Amino acid sequence: MTDPYRQRLRRRLLWLLPMALAVAGGAAAWTGVPAIAAEEAPDPLGYVIDPEALDDAATIADGRELYLTGCVSCHGVEGVGAAGGPPIADAGAASAHFYLTTGRMPHAGGPEVQAVRKDPAYSPEEIEALVAYVASLGEGPEIPHVDLSEGTVQEGGELFRGVCAACHSASGAGGALSFGQNAPSLDQATPVQVYEAMLIGPGQMPVFGPPSYDEEELNSIVAYVETLQELEDPGGFSLGRVGPMPEGFVAVIIGTGAAVLAAFLIGGRVHEEHDVDQDVVSSSPEMGQ
Amino acid sequence: MSADQAIAKATPLSRRTARWLDDRLGAASFARKALDKVFPDHWSFLLGELALWSFVVLIATGVWLTFFFDASIEEIVYEGSYVPLRGIEMSRAYASALDISFDVRAGLVMRQVHHWAANVYLATTVVHLMRIFFTGAFRRPRELNWLLGVGMLIFSIVNGFVGYSLLDDQLSGTGLRIAYNIAISIPLAGTWLASLFFGGEFPGPDLLERLYVMHILLLPAVIVALLGAHLALVARQRHTQFRGPGRTEANVIGERVWPTFAAKGLGAFLLTSAVLCALGGLAQINPIWLYGPYRPAEVSAASQPDWYMGWLDGALRLWHDWEFRAFGFEIPTPFFPSVLLPGITFTLLALWPFLETRFTGDRGEHHLLDRPRDRPLRTAFGISTLAFYTVLFFAGASDVLAVTFQTSVNALFRTFQLMLLVLPPVAGFITFRLCKELARRDRPGASDQAPAVAAPAPGEGAERRQEIEPEDEPERDPASAAGVPRR
Amino acid sequence: MTASADRENSGGPGAGQNDTAPEGRSDRRAERVVAGAFVASIAGAITLAAVYIAGGQPQLEGVALALALGGLGVAVVAWAKSFMPDDEVTETRPQLPSSDEEVRAFTESFEAGGQTLARRGLLAKLGLGALGALGLAAVFPIRSLGPNPGEGLKRTPFAPGVRLVDAEGAPIRPRELPPASLVTAWPEGHAGDAQSPTLILQIDLDDFVPLPGREGWLVGNIVAYSKLCTHTGCPVGLYQTELDLLLCPCHQSTFDVLHGAEPVFGPAARPLPQLPLAVDDEGFLIATGDFSAPVGGGFWDRGRS
Repeated sequence: MTDPYRQRLRRRLLWLLPMALAVAGGAAAWTGVPAIAAEEAPDPLGYVIDPEALDDAATIADGRELYLTGCVSCHGVEGVGAAGGPPIADAGAASAHFYLTTGRMPHAGGPEVQAVRKDPAYSPEEIEALVAYVASLGEGPEIPHVDLSEGTVQEGGELFRGVCAACHSASGAGGALSFGQNAPSLDQATPVQVYEAMLIGPGQMPVFGPPSYDEEELNSIVAYVETLQELEDPGGFSLGRVGPMPEGFVAVIIGTGAAVLAAFLIGGRVHEEHDVDQDVVSSSPEMGQ
Repeated sequence: MSADQAIAKATPLSRRTARWLDDRLGAASFARKALDKVFPDHWSFLLGELALWSFVVLIATGVWLTFFFDASIEEIVYEGSYVPLRGIEMSRAYASALDISFDVRAGLVMRQVHHWAANVYLATTVVHLMRIFFTGAFRRPRELNWLLGVGMLIFSIVNGFVGYSLLDDQLSGTGLRIAYNIAISIPLAGTWLASLFFGGEFPGPDLLERLYVMHILLLPAVIVALLGAHLALVARQRHTQFRGPGRTEANVIGERVWPTFAAKGLGAFLLTSAVLCALGGLAQINPIWLYGPYRPAEVSAASQPDWYMGWLDGALRLWHDWEFRAFGFEIPTPFFPSVLLPGITFTLLALWPFLETRFTGDRGEHHLLDRPRDRPLRTAFGISTLAFYTVLFFAGASDVLAVTFQTSVNALFRTFQLMLLVLPPVAGFITFRLCKELARRDRPGASDQAPAVAAPAPGEGAERRQEIEPEDEPERDPASAAGVPRR
Repeated sequence: MTASADRENSGGPGAGQNDTAPEGRSDRRAERVVAGAFVASIAGAITLAAVYIAGGQPQLEGVALALALGGLGVAVVAWAKSFMPDDEVTETRPQLPSSDEEVRAFTESFEAGGQTLARRGLLAKLGLGALGALGLAAVFPIRSLGPNPGEGLKRTPFAPGVRLVDAEGAPIRPRELPPASLVTAWPEGHAGDAQSPTLILQIDLDDFVPLPGREGWLVGNIVAYSKLCTHTGCPVGLYQTELDLLLCPCHQSTFDVLHGAEPVFGPAARPLPQLPLAVDDEGFLIATGDFSAPVGGGFWDRGRS
C-alpha cells in the first residue's frame, strides 16, 4: 500500500477531482446562459423589392424587355400562355413576386415538372420590373401587406396543423405527394412568400385566401411558420423533424449498435478449436481455491 | 482489491445480516450455487441482457413519468411555458406530456430516455432473437423458453404502441385511428372487439384511461412474469455454448457468476443505460409539441409508427387494394396485411422449433450451438424472412424516402412490391450458397482434427458437419456427462 | 476466450494475480483506466447535480447521466477483465429429464390422490360444472366495456336539410368559397366530430364526370366527399389541385376528385363516399341526405344497411 506507484496514482486522482468539479461548474454556468438573440435582418419579411413602386411606367417598360427575352416563350405575348406554360395575364403581382423571389421561375422542364426553390435568377431590380410588368397585364392578387403582429402564433399553429400540415407536415419539413410531386419544406420560405403561396396556390397547392381565411388568420399562419423556422429543438438533434422514421434508424443503428458494441467488448469472442490441452477443473466447481 | 478480499473484510454487520437472513431462509447453499453457476463467455450471449437492461431502464424512467402524466381526455386550456401552444384547448394527457417536456425539471430527458429505451429494447430483443435463431439455441430442451421469448416480443410491441399512443398528440391519434380501423376490419368479431376495446366508436370516451392501465400495469406485469420465467429457465437449463476445446453437450464451460460474470453483467447494464441516456439527451425523439393536440379531422404528412410497427405499416401500404365482398358482407383490405400477416408471422415464429424438429426429425437435446453456416437451410430461411420484413419496414416510410431521395412515391411503391417478391428468395439463395461455401472451406482444415463422420469423443463434434439429418441421440453417455476432457 | 492453460504456461498477467498488488505495466495501465473511469463517473454525477440545480438543460443532463453511468460501466468492465478470475470453469449440465424412478414415484402420488376424486365421480363432475358456469358468468361483465356496435359505423349525422358548418360551427355559403380551395366541414352541431369530416372542393366542371345517379349532387362547382380514407380512416387532407387528386398521407391511397373520388392508386379499394349537396333558403350549404356509403374503413357487414 505504500508503494510509490500507488502514491503517484493517488496524487493524480486528487488532481482529477477538482477538474471534475470545474467541468460541473462550467456546465451549470452554461445552463443558465440565454440564447443570443439574432440580429434583425434589414428585410425581415422578405419583400426583396419595393411593392409600392410597381405602377411606375419606366419600371413596367423595363419589365416588358425582360419578359420578352426570358418568359415569352412559355407564357406567350402579354401573358396569354403558350404551349410550354400557363397563361399568367391574371396571375398578379403576388404570383410573379412569389415565383421570381423563390427562384421557381424561370423554370425549365415544362408545366409537368414541379418547379423547385432555388436562388433567384434575376436581381432585385429585375424582379421588381418583371413583377410590375406582370401586374400591369391583368387583374390578380397584389403583393400582400404582411404584418405578423396582426396574428398570433397560437392561432397560426392551430390553422397550420389543421390545413397546412397535411402536405407540409406538422413541422413544416414538407412531404410527398402523388406522382413525383412533393410539398416543399418551409424552412426557407420568407413571410411574404408564405402569405403569397396561400393567396395564389402555386403548383398543386390549393388556395387558402380570403374569404375562407381572413388577413388575421393568414398573418397568424405566417407567424407560426416563422416560429417553426426559429424554434430550437429542446430535445437535441432534430433528426430532420420528419417523424419516427429517422428515430427508428437512430435507435436501431446507433443506439442498438452502440449497445451491441459494448457487449462485443465486454464478452468473449469465438472459441476457436485450436489444439490446447486443457485441464478441466473438477466437475463440481469450487470457489476460491 | 479483489472480491475475495472484499468478502474477507466484510464488516460484522453485513455478516450478521446475512446470518439473520439465513436463519430464516436457509438460503446459503442455494445462494452459493447461484454464485458458482457457470456462464459461457461469448459476446453474443449478452444480447439478451442488453434487452433486459433496456427494459430495466424503461421501468425506471417509466415509473418516474407516471408521477407527472395524467391520462385524461378532459379538455383544458394549456397555460404552460411552451409559448406556441399557450391558450390552446387540449386534453389533460397532452398537456401533462407538454409539462413533462417543458416544465418538469429533467422531464424532457427522462421522457426521451424512456422513448429511446423502448426503441432500443425492441431492437435488442430482435437481435437477441436472431442470435437464438441462427445458432439453433431454440432446440430441445429450450422450446419453452423460445415460446416465452416470442410472447414477450409480442407483448412488448403492443406495449410500445400503447405507450406512444397515450400522449394524445396528432401523431398518436392518427395511429389509434388506424388501429381502430384495423380492428373493425376483422370479419364478424371486428366491430364488437373495437367497440369493447375503445368503449364505443372511435375515439371512444375511456380509451386513454384503458391504454394507460394497459401500458403501466397489465402489459408490464405480463412481460415481467414472462421475463422471470425466461431467466429461471436459463438458470435451470444452463446456457448453451459454442463448440470449442472441452465443450460437450454434457458440460458448460465458462466463467463463474461471482464475481466475473456478475461484474460483466453490471457493466452491460451501466453501458446500456449510458447509451440510452446519451441518446435521450442528444437526439430529439417524438417532439409532440410540433405535432399539436389530436384533432380527429386533421393529419400530418409523414405520419409513421415507431420502427417496430413499421413493417405492419409497410404491409398496409403494399397490400394491393384486394378485398372480398359477397352478399353484402366483406373482408376489407386492412385485414390481410395487418391482422392476417402478423397472425401468420407470430404463429410461425412461435412454432418454429417444432416445425424444424418435424422437418429434420432431430429430436435430440442440444446444448452446443450451430454456426449459421452449418445449417444452410435454416440460415437461408432466416435471412430470407429478414429480407421480407426489411422491405416491409422500408415501405412503411415510402413517403419520407420519396422526399429524401427525390423520387415518386408511386414508383417506390411498385419497386417495394417487386422487391417483396424478389428479394427474399434471392437473399435466401445467396445465403445458402455462401453457407455451403464457408462450410466447404472449413472442411479440409477441420478434417485432421475431428473426422466428420468417424466417431469422435462422445458428445462432441459428431453432429458438427452433418446437414440437417436425423440424429440418433438423445441417450447421453454417462462418461461424457461427467465432463471428461477431450484428450 | 483463452484457456487457463495458456496463462499458466506463459505466466502472463491475469488469473491468479488478483490477490497480490499489481506489478506488471499492463496491470498498472488497467488500474489507471479503472481509476480514470471512476473519476469520470464522479464528474458526470456532480455535473448532473450542478446542471439540475442551475435550472436544468436536457442535453447536459443526458450527457452527464451518460458519463456517470458509462464511467461506472467502463470501470466495472475494465476491473472485471483485468483483475477478476477469467479462468474457465467446467460445470456438468444437469440431466433435465427425471429418472424413471422419480417419474414412477410422482405418478403413484398423483394417482393415489386422484383415486379419491374418482371415487366421488359425480361430485367431481358437478364441481367442474360449477366452475364452468362461474367462468361463463364471468364473461358477461366484458360486455360492460363498450356498447353494441350499432348504426354509428354506417351513418353520420348528415340528413336531408342538415347544414354544413366549418370548424367553428359557422354555416358555409357556397359563393364565399374561392376556386381551387379546400375546406373541411361537418354537419351542424357536430363540428370537429371524428366520423363526419367532409371535404368541400371547388372543381373544374368541364372535366368533372358525375357518377350515374349523382348528377344533382353538386352546388355550382362544389363537390363534397367524406374526408376519411376508405382504407384505414385517415383524414385525406392532401389535395393536389392541378392533378385533381386527393392523397392520404398514411398509406398513400389516391383518389380522383373528378371521377367520384374513385381510388386510382394505393391500398384503398373503395371511393370516398360523396355527400349530396344543395343550398337552403338562406343561401347556406346543406346536405340532401347522408353519404353515398358508410365512411371510413371497411367492416364485415358494411354493405348490409
